[in-house]
Amino acid sequence: MSRRALFALVVLPALPARGQERLRYVFDQNLGRIAFSARHLGLFTSQGQFDRFQATLLIDPANPQNASVECVVETAEVSIAFPGATDLLRSEAYFDVAHHPTARFAGEANGLTEAGGFPIAGQLAVRGITRPFRMTARLIERQGGVAHFQAEGDMLRGEFGMVADRVLISDAIRLSVDVRIAV
Amino acid sequence: MSGRPERWSRPQRRLHAWGAVLVVLTLGLSLAMVALPMSQLLAKFLTYQLHKTFGLLVLIITLARLGYRLTRRAPELTGISPPMRRAARWGQGVLYALLLLVPLLGYLTAQAAAGPVPTTLFLVIPVPHLLEPNPALYAWLRPTHQIAAWSLIALAAAHAGLALRHHWQGVPMLERIWGSG
Repeated sequence: MSRRALFALVVLPALPARGQERLRYVFDQNLGRIAFSARHLGLFTSQGQFDRFQATLLIDPANPQNASVECVVETAEVSIAFPGATDLLRSEAYFDVAHHPTARFAGEANGLTEAGGFPIAGQLAVRGITRPFRMTARLIERQGGVAHFQAEGDMLRGEFGMVADRVLISDAIRLSVDVRIAV
Repeated sequence: MSGRPERWSRPQRRLHAWGAVLVVLTLGLSLAMVALPMSQLLAKFLTYQLHKTFGLLVLIITLARLGYRLTRRAPELTGISPPMRRAARWGQGVLYALLLLVPLLGYLTAQAAAGPVPTTLFLVIPVPHLLEPNPALYAWLRPTHQIAAWSLIALAAAHAGLALRHHWQGVPMLERIWGSG
């Protein structure tokens, strides 16, 4: 693959498209990461991620507390390192990918900043169930024309009908988004 | 006069019995933990943890047995031919080696696995991991652990079978290692 083609594939999607005040960035698994983690019996934490998603971020990098985001993940593309666990997460008891192939989050920052970041509140739809969901986003660093953002929020899986293995797997699942965008 | 005791000491006999029971339990748990479906996740997790717990106890007991062997000579093997005696000594040596090797390989296998699950004794006492997850190493360790474990089971079964055979032939073999007297 030529360098130009590689640049077009990897970098161009994260370059902004001009909007009114904010800039629009589109990114996917090549430029960002959407991960999740759960606690198990208070002993350890497991982590997984979604290997395919599409996200759109509207943001003024100088004032990120006015950002809005929309993200769609393909639930069948969930992955976790534990043998057999990926199929378990795809099963009816968890993401039920046969009936609900995508999960979606759409949220907006409220223009305020809090200690540790700025909140993004919106709606999270998993397994066909939509609930209010809030993440806290932060600008980690801005270096060489690239801004590194992270966002985290805790969902209660039981609210989305994922009630299996409650003794072993915590109800609270931490979702995290990590993305670097060219600003 | 050989200076050897007639039978193993009481602590040695107890450690031998506990070790044997734990090896059998660990084998049973290994079969169960692999067979349990992911839909029975809690049971699968607990059997893995118990398997690791019992495996580490086998290692501790074996080290204790070897410690006793350093301080107390083994009883004389009487009533069997010299070649059989030599074979028995070799067999016991290999058994000790496998009783150390199999738990150690299992301990390392658990650490090298891609999804790192901590090792605990009875879900309470954390046992530190020395390795980072390493899929390539795991791909070598897991079958090696399994082969060594089945070799241990086969050799232990032969060891027990021969001891019973000698016992039934009138050689006082079991009295040296079994019983509480």
